[in-house]
Order: sequence, then C-alpha cells, then structure tokens
Amino acid sequence: MKEKHITEILDNASIVSLSESELNEIRAHAEDCVSCRGAYEAARLSAVVIRSRVKSTIEPSPFFHTRVMAALREQQAVESVPAMLRLWGSAKSLVSSMAVATAALAVLSFALPSPAIPASDQAVSAYSAESVLLGQANDDQMSYEQVMSTIYDDDEAK
Amino acid sequence: MDIDLARQAQAGDESAFEEIVRRYSPRVFSVASRFFRQRSLVEEAAQEVFLKAYTQLGSFEGRGSIEGWLTRIATNTCLNILRGAKRRSEFSVSDLTEDENQWLEQQPASQGNEERSFVSDLVAADLADRLLSVLPPEDQQALLMIDGEDASIREVAEATGWSESKVKVRAFRARRKLREAMEKLLRHKDGAREKQVIK
Repeated sequence: MKEKHITEILDNASIVSLSESELNEIRAHAEDCVSCRGAYEAARLSAVVIRSRVKSTIEPSPFFHTRVMAALREQQAVESVPAMLRLWGSAKSLVSSMAVATAALAVLSFALPSPAIPASDQAVSAYSAESVLLGQANDDQMSYEQVMSTIYDDDEAK
Repeated sequence: MDIDLARQAQAGDESAFEEIVRRYSPRVFSVASRFFRQRSLVEEAAQEVFLKAYTQLGSFEGRGSIEGWLTRIATNTCLNILRGAKRRSEFSVSDLTEDENQWLEQQPASQGNEERSFVSDLVAADLADRLLSVLPPEDQQALLMIDGEDASIREVAEATGWSESKVKVRAFRARRKLREAMEKLLRHKDGAREKQVIK
C-alpha cells in the first residue's frame, strides 16, 4: 500500500464512507507521499463542502400549494380557449394594421384625382402593364388599329 | 393512502391534487434545493414540477410511490433547467470570496471537529456550489446524492433513470474533478502564504 498512490481510492468513494482501516492506510501513505497528502487533504475538504451544500435546503412556504393551484387553473383557462381564438388573440394587431394599410392604399388609388396624361402617353398606354396582364395586347407586334390611331393622333397633334 | 389520492387526482379531483402538492412539496423542494440555492429559483422549479406532474398523472400507474415518481420528475425538470444555463469553465483562487478564503485557512485547525457553525456551513455550501458549477449538472447530482445524502447507487439510478454503471462513472468523475479543483485552490493558497512569509 505504501508504494501505491491513493488517488484511486479517494475518487472511488466518499472519504466519509471509507472504513477506519482504509483511512489508516491512506494516512500512512500520505505521510511519505507529498502529492497524495495534498490529494487526501483536498478530498477531505471536498467531502466537508459537499455535506454543507446538501444541508442547506429550502423549505416550501405555507402558501406554496395555493400558488401551484392558481398556476394550474391559469394554465387550464388558457388551454380551454379554442385554438382559433388564441391564434386571433396573437395575430389581432397584425391583421388590423394590415387592414388599415389596405384601406389607405384604396383611398390613395381611387379617391385622389389622377394626374392628366398627355395624348402621346395614352397611345403608348396600349402597352401598359394592365393591358398586357388583361391579355388585350398579347402580341409583340402592334395591331392595325393601334398603328393607325398612333399615326393619326400624331398628325392631329401637329 | 397515496394510491387513492393519485386515483382521485387522475379522476379530476383538484382537492386530491392539492393534497399531493401539500404533502410532497417538502420532498420536491429538497430535490430542487440540490440544484439551486436561491429561493425564487427553487420555488419556480418546484412549481414546474407539480404542473408537469398534473399533466402526467395518467402515467402514474401506482407501482411505485408518489414520492419516487415526483422525485424523478423533479430531478429531470431541474436537470433540464440547468442544462439550459451557462456553465463556468473554471474556478480559480482569484474567484474566492473573503469568507471562503478564511474558511479554507481555518480548515486544517478544525480537522475532526464535526460541530461547525451555521455561518461556516453557509460559506462551505457557497464554495461547494461554485466548485460544482464547473461540472456537468448530471455529475453534480450524482455526487451530491451519493456523497452528500448517502444515497446508494441504485437510489440515484431510480431517481434519475440512468443505469447504475452510468451513476458510478458520473460520481467517480465528479469526485475526481472536485478533488483536483480543491487541490489546486489549496496549492495556490499555500503558495500565496509562503510568498507573504518571505516578504
């Protein structure tokens, strides 16, 4: 035992659970071995702090069960509200702000007077985004009526 | 009877569940105190344990005790909370408070003296807490239960749901790390003391 280091024994079990003969062997070895003496002292202090740590427990307050039951009822109340309503509750502000933005855009588009468009721009408007989207001008080439109206409009303008 | 109480609670009897909370909150607090030292954190964890227990009442089959069942829920809940918390990477001598320094100084003199003052216990508990904070929460628990509460390997395995060999490995590893950290602290302190004497 004297030749064998004792750290393995110290780490295998708490120092307080070792038998008196084991402790005597450890002490005998620690007397001659400086590094094991340090390890033994550290293990002894570790056991002391661990014991103190476990001693400091916190007791529940007399109202703790009331607090738990209140939290439980609150949780049940939340769970009893239908999912769609809960979703509405959280999305309400987002939906209402979107509705306001849409209404504002509608007012800007229809209620305000549109600026006067020059005749030349009107002719070009045959290629406007609306007409393309609505399929009124699907072809890349201008139709006969469009060519004619463009020529005569230009002549009249002159 | 425990089983009757559990059956009533399972059937939706709130007063039966309230009685469970009242009867077992000291046990749940004692488990949570192993993980946390601030009252607010312990209370919060204990409340979470009971809310979880209420939703899992159906899983209690009555084969074991309510206390064992709640201890397991409490241990796992607290471990989950701790896993989310940031762990210290190291604890060095410069992190010691004045009280902890003094406590370490007095230790060789108080060797064998089991009667310790309340204040001394608090300082030691603080020191343990800070030294343990560098270990994974699972290792801390294994060590606190076995070395602190004299729990058997089997009892820890039952409370945590780990295998017995896992418990042994965790306790061994935690004990060694704690001893090494303590050794380092003592070495630094001795070094500092020697320097002061030379001056």
